[in-house]
Amino acid sequence: MKQARYWLLLAATMLLPQVALAQPLAQARRPAPTRPAPPAAPTPAPAPPPGSPASPAPPAQGSPAGEIELDEPKPEGEKPPADANQGSVPPANAAAGICEVDPSACPKQADISNMAQREVQADVYAVQQIYALRRHRFELLPYWSFSFNDQFVTHQGPGLGINYYLTNVLAIGINGTFYQPFNHDSDFNFENRRATRLAVPLNEYQAGGTVNFTYVPMYGKFSGFSKFIFHYDGFVTGGVGALRTRPIAVIDPDNRKFDYDWRLAMSVGLGLRVFLNRWFAVTAELRDYIYVERLENTEVVTGQETNQSTWYGNKQLTNDIQAQVGISVFLPFSWEYRLPK
Amino acid sequence: MPKRHLFASNTYRSPLLLRIRRSLGATTIAACVAFGTTAVSKPAKAQEIQLTGPLAGAPSVRKARLYREGRLELAVGPGFTLLDEYQRTIFVSGRLQYNLFDWLGIGVFGGVAAANLDTDLTDKINSTAPRNSRTAINLPGQGQGSFADQTGKLKWMAAPQITFSPFRGKLALFQKLFVDTDLYIHGGAAFIGVDERGDCSPDHCTSATPGAFNTKSRVAVAPTFGLGLTFYLASFISLNIEYRALPFSWNRSGFDTRGGGPNASFPDNQINSEDRTFKFNQMVFVGAGFYLPAKTKLTD
Repeated sequence: MKQARYWLLLAATMLLPQVALAQPLAQARRPAPTRPAPPAAPTPAPAPPPGSPASPAPPAQGSPAGEIELDEPKPEGEKPPADANQGSVPPANAAAGICEVDPSACPKQADISNMAQREVQADVYAVQQIYALRRHRFELLPYWSFSFNDQFVTHQGPGLGINYYLTNVLAIGINGTFYQPFNHDSDFNFENRRATRLAVPLNEYQAGGTVNFTYVPMYGKFSGFSKFIFHYDGFVTGGVGALRTRPIAVIDPDNRKFDYDWRLAMSVGLGLRVFLNRWFAVTAELRDYIYVERLENTEVVTGQETNQSTWYGNKQLTNDIQAQVGISVFLPFSWEYRLPK
Repeated sequence: MPKRHLFASNTYRSPLLLRIRRSLGATTIAACVAFGTTAVSKPAKAQEIQLTGPLAGAPSVRKARLYREGRLELAVGPGFTLLDEYQRTIFVSGRLQYNLFDWLGIGVFGGVAAANLDTDLTDKINSTAPRNSRTAINLPGQGQGSFADQTGKLKWMAAPQITFSPFRGKLALFQKLFVDTDLYIHGGAAFIGVDERGDCSPDHCTSATPGAFNTKSRVAVAPTFGLGLTFYLASFISLNIEYRALPFSWNRSGFDTRGGGPNASFPDNQINSEDRTFKFNQMVFVGAGFYLPAKTKLTD
């Protein structure tokens, strides 16, 4: 009796792993059946295709609810698939075990082809794992900024943004851009001045920075040529910061020389980020820096040419729209999903 | 003392023997457990996926909606020029396109200027620029016309083009609204109707000569290219946002800026084609697209 107890225990351990692993997949994850229930009376199984090692399949009503039964009898009137006569065992490694245990359950190529045509029973989660999670990750965002709406002087330069994602869709961060050596006064200004004897006040930037909130309301994916998939998201951003600017002396360049000064700036923007892998993305952003610019006085006060208080003219609300193109590097590089796929 | 066989008798069990048997039993059970969890369970799990999994044998993409293939598309909407110096143009524009495949279409984009709007610079020049001998060739005399009249304007365009749509996918907005989307690039040749200041010879380009500041029409030919996004709101209607570049040279101000001096970069007191300067013209088109047939095809 004592030895029998060991053998029973041994047999139980042999059986236990199969049951423990198979049950959750078969029961817990199966959705409710979407097809009509099989008829109450047993349906005669189709004759086995010639050459098939399988015997006739049992009636479908024996299957658990929603379970896909490969050898389920076909509804009346349904033609057998064209390759039904070519029933063969799929890759030996995949089905060798089940074919040995129960030849009737051995899959045939015809069954798999048939299944491919059927409605998929959505044995997948409603929301799959997001490809690149952002929550509690840092984003380093080096970029190059271009002027988007200033045809007189282009303000461009390198910049760096750092964002920390408080949630998967909300981040707080800072960004800064260095413009000074890259301001470009267009030839158009000179030609316009020469032709009309009218100078347009110009300005240039030294640097700027803002503290931002970023919100990611859009998320999607693209398939390229049906060969590869890349994920992207769209975000909006807004913040407050400062720009350091100065007028370019064009009205009286002989006497006037301006220093850079800080201007309070608000920023709003939207952008698109395309993930090349889970931590590396290409980012394009359109951002409007809204600030009040102090322009050069278009008139020269006679006798007061060197008096700096006469150099500045009107204040003007300015929308400096910048296109920022860069890359995003997310840190840490990897993470673990909390739930399975 | 009788000689005992190690495993033959159950009449007497020494503690050592019992310990050995227990450890052998435990080892056997452990081996069976290990065997059960590795050798047995793995094939069972694999078969679950391969034989009865819901995606077994299914193609990688099922029932993909082919929004483009074999369909005629008409998109209409406004087009806005960007970064203009003297005149902004708002087009009533549209695109007629037949999509040979889901990724390739041929068609024509066109538009007519619904409005030419003066920029702030044009207004300032018109109101404050001095009228004297130095500006006489570039600006009409006081009370003899508006500067805005001589500025270059885009009047119409027609651009046969090819549209290439390599990327298609979907977009989730707030995890609530899902929209099928594709991204496309387009390229072709654009024929652009331009009004710009007419040619005039030296000494005939000031207000002293009637019509010296009048504009004339011509057709400019330029490459055109860009990219766009299509959001499919339904099987037969979409929202289109498209960027388009139209780089070519034209005289946007009507000034005499080139033709004389070194490298012909100084004024030569006449208006002609040398006064045209290169401009990377840009515009944005926002349109609603309609498709025929109204229903999409589905892949297997």
